[in-house]
Amino acid sequence: MSINLDQALQTFIVEAHELLQVMEQSLLQLENEPADQDAIGAIFRAAHTIKGSAGLFGLNPVVSFTHIVEDVLDRLRDGSVAVDTALIAVLLKSGDHMLELINVVASRGETLQPAALEREAALREALSTYQAPHSTPDTGVQNTETGAGDTSAEVLWHISLRFGVDVFRNGMDPLSFLRYLETLGQITQVTTLTDTIPVLDSWDPESCYLGFEIDLRSTASHATLNEVFDFVRDDCEVRIEAVDETSHKAVSIGSELVAQAEQGPLTASAQRLPATSEPKNRDGNYVRVNADKLDELINLVGELVIASAGASLLARSCQNDPLQEATSTVSGLVEEILDGALHLRMIPIGDTFNRFRRVVRDISQELGKDIELTISGAETELDKTVVEKIGDPLMHLLRNAMDHGIESADARRAAGKAGKGHLSLNAYHDSGSIVIEIADDGNGLNRERILEKAQERGLVASGAVLSDQEIYNLIFEPGFSTAEAVTNLSGRGVGMDVVKRNITLLRGTVDLDSRPGQGTVVRIRLPLTLAIINGFLVGIDKSTYVIPLDMVQECIELDEHQRQSSCDKGYLDLRGEVLPLVDLRNHFSHEGSAGRRQNVVVVRYAEHKAGLVVDDLLGEFQTVIKPLGKLFGALRGISGSTILGSGAVALILDIPALLNQIVQLEARTTQAPYSPTVVAR
Amino acid sequence: MAKNVLVVDDSSSVRQVVGIALKSAGYDVIEACDGKDALRKLTGQKVHLIISDVNMPNMDGITFVKEVKKLPSYKFTPIIMLTTESQESKKAEGQAAGAKAWVVKPFQPAQMLAAVSKLILP
Amino acid sequence: MPITIETLDDSTCVSIDGELTIYTVAELAGALLPQMGAAPRLMLDLSPVTEMDGAGLQLLAVIQREAENAGTALSVTGQSLAVTQALELCRKAAS
Repeated sequence: MSINLDQALQTFIVEAHELLQVMEQSLLQLENEPADQDAIGAIFRAAHTIKGSAGLFGLNPVVSFTHIVEDVLDRLRDGSVAVDTALIAVLLKSGDHMLELINVVASRGETLQPAALEREAALREALSTYQAPHSTPDTGVQNTETGAGDTSAEVLWHISLRFGVDVFRNGMDPLSFLRYLETLGQITQVTTLTDTIPVLDSWDPESCYLGFEIDLRSTASHATLNEVFDFVRDDCEVRIEAVDETSHKAVSIGSELVAQAEQGPLTASAQRLPATSEPKNRDGNYVRVNADKLDELINLVGELVIASAGASLLARSCQNDPLQEATSTVSGLVEEILDGALHLRMIPIGDTFNRFRRVVRDISQELGKDIELTISGAETELDKTVVEKIGDPLMHLLRNAMDHGIESADARRAAGKAGKGHLSLNAYHDSGSIVIEIADDGNGLNRERILEKAQERGLVASGAVLSDQEIYNLIFEPGFSTAEAVTNLSGRGVGMDVVKRNITLLRGTVDLDSRPGQGTVVRIRLPLTLAIINGFLVGIDKSTYVIPLDMVQECIELDEHQRQSSCDKGYLDLRGEVLPLVDLRNHFSHEGSAGRRQNVVVVRYAEHKAGLVVDDLLGEFQTVIKPLGKLFGALRGISGSTILGSGAVALILDIPALLNQIVQLEARTTQAPYSPTVVAR
Repeated sequence: MAKNVLVVDDSSSVRQVVGIALKSAGYDVIEACDGKDALRKLTGQKVHLIISDVNMPNMDGITFVKEVKKLPSYKFTPIIMLTTESQESKKAEGQAAGAKAWVVKPFQPAQMLAAVSKLILP
Repeated sequence: MPITIETLDDSTCVSIDGELTIYTVAELAGALLPQMGAAPRLMLDLSPVTEMDGAGLQLLAVIQREAENAGTALSVTGQSLAVTQALELCRKAAS
């Protein structure tokens, strides 16, 4: 039989990764609460399932090692082995090794390197101390090839069957066995025996009194034929004989008469039932979909949005009411589809967060520090691509916090703090973005040293006056961290520019806040999705620009008088607040003069706020982001383009970059202490 | 009309392998990830054979079999239990509950197919 | 009920509609067996039978036996493919 299992193997690999993840989480949980039966159950089930599935694909190295792990876990489950730190440690390492096995053996189809084999031998050794004293190292691999040992020559078999009374009730159909025999050879004769059916008064239609005498010509062996009746053997008589055709006399080859009518008292199992509860059903109502297919769908939905907007526009110009109504219904539905499609890509950040529990545990042990990780907002959802790509920067920030932020227990106690350090990971939604916070209660950053270093590196003019926050954020500047900086600043800031670059690539921003002696908070702000934004259209001359709607706070009409005064000053008095203005007409060098009326769109991103001066306000528009080509890579203030329903191209404004530009510009010109006069909260 | 087989296992790769094997032989396959899910899937459609794992979250295989045996329209439906070689006691428990057929994990797709075809043909 | 029973003159016509399996044999036996000896002739229409298993086969065997005992002439007026296949399977003669 040629069954292609490649796709199923991929499923197995994904599944094994998830199960190992569960196993690790549960082991860490067990370390905290050694009596947690649910955790033990989940760990056992993970190993058990991996072993069982690996066997399906003939991944013997995986089966063989996992079998030992499962064995130990089984003893843990029935209480013969107790939870202790050493056991957790060896099981965690076993989990790592299983992951390696999956990656090497299942994913790449290779065999383990000698170093890995050595690790495995050590783990087997360590695990064996937890195994039952007499348990023989079972490979766990079964070789029960059906039909093995079939004779090649065709034999005439005679099979006598007397079925037990409960056969029907047990879901077995005698006719099915006959049909199955037909697949093994040619049935030449069948006699159905009904003579044992009792008289009507004592006959139960649901009891079976049938018997069959069958002649079968087949190449199958006696063993194979015998196996056919495995499931009914307990209460049936089965006799299988080869017929000597020359003399027409039945030769009994290992004939057997298995009539075990009395089913001995079933060994009441003292074994406890497996823990049946799991925090959440991971698989229940889910369909696994290839991410590429999803992207394709979202791309198509994007095109649909544009096409539908085009249709609406046309309908409006036709002055045909029913048509307009129809298109607006379509638009509404398309919008819902879009929301739904985008939602498909959203996954909770929790899995990524949870991965760090192990990292924190291992690194803190390595550093000899006592550090606890608190996770909140794990259910916060964001785009899958973002979730995948945020792992590395988060890891870097966490490592940094543990290496250099949190002090040793002694130093902490000397500073009057608890010996145990705290790290927290938090995620939440905030005005159309998601914010991820990494906070520690360590020593904080050294403001003076950073400033000194930055001046030395020429990142800051020597006379410049910067706010604390601006100084702290200097560590994200490229060129700030050098080998020398490592020693001088105890490493803090190493690779921070890389972290920032990765986050910027996701259209996100990062900033940092620190208090001497109390700790540091790094805030990463990310867009919810990368594919589509709700845009607000504005017009300048005949061009259209898109401002992400999430960042629009309000729109103000600017009359000629106001315009004169604010254009001169470069800011607007917004209910007593100083709002810096950017004239987009100038900014993008549009020719011609502005119309009589102009509008200000007030935008906000993080804590920065500004007003953009435009000609017309054109309303909301679902915007599918088309990335700009490489040619425009250097263009600042533009993050992408989109196609309007009319077919015209509109540029999408990169508000964070624009705001940043203003802030820098103002900082340079005003030189005010704690410069952000331009930044209104 | 192809025969419907309900495959109950918390491992999606096991379900997939069994599914591929059975579909290649002409059966229709319905998947469920645990006993509770499986009981839901038994309603509203005709299932001719059930394959169930023992060790599952939410509702384990033994409890599931006992529940199936209480359903008037499924009390005589054949059930194949998936056991492992280390679970002899589970096999006995499953048989007592009413699952008289079994396949030992890890199995080859062909072994599963053979077990199913003994009980029903597609 | 998956069975219809009509009596015409000296004949009882019985038609079994749906499954003739372990799930229906108890009900069918309850309805059918009292008909034995009620009329001289019993016509059994099995053409609407969708499925038949060993329990169904056993029921047919019992009906045949009881009809004989009661002196009722049994004739099968029609049978579906499911019935034909099941009967062929267990009545295969030497070839």
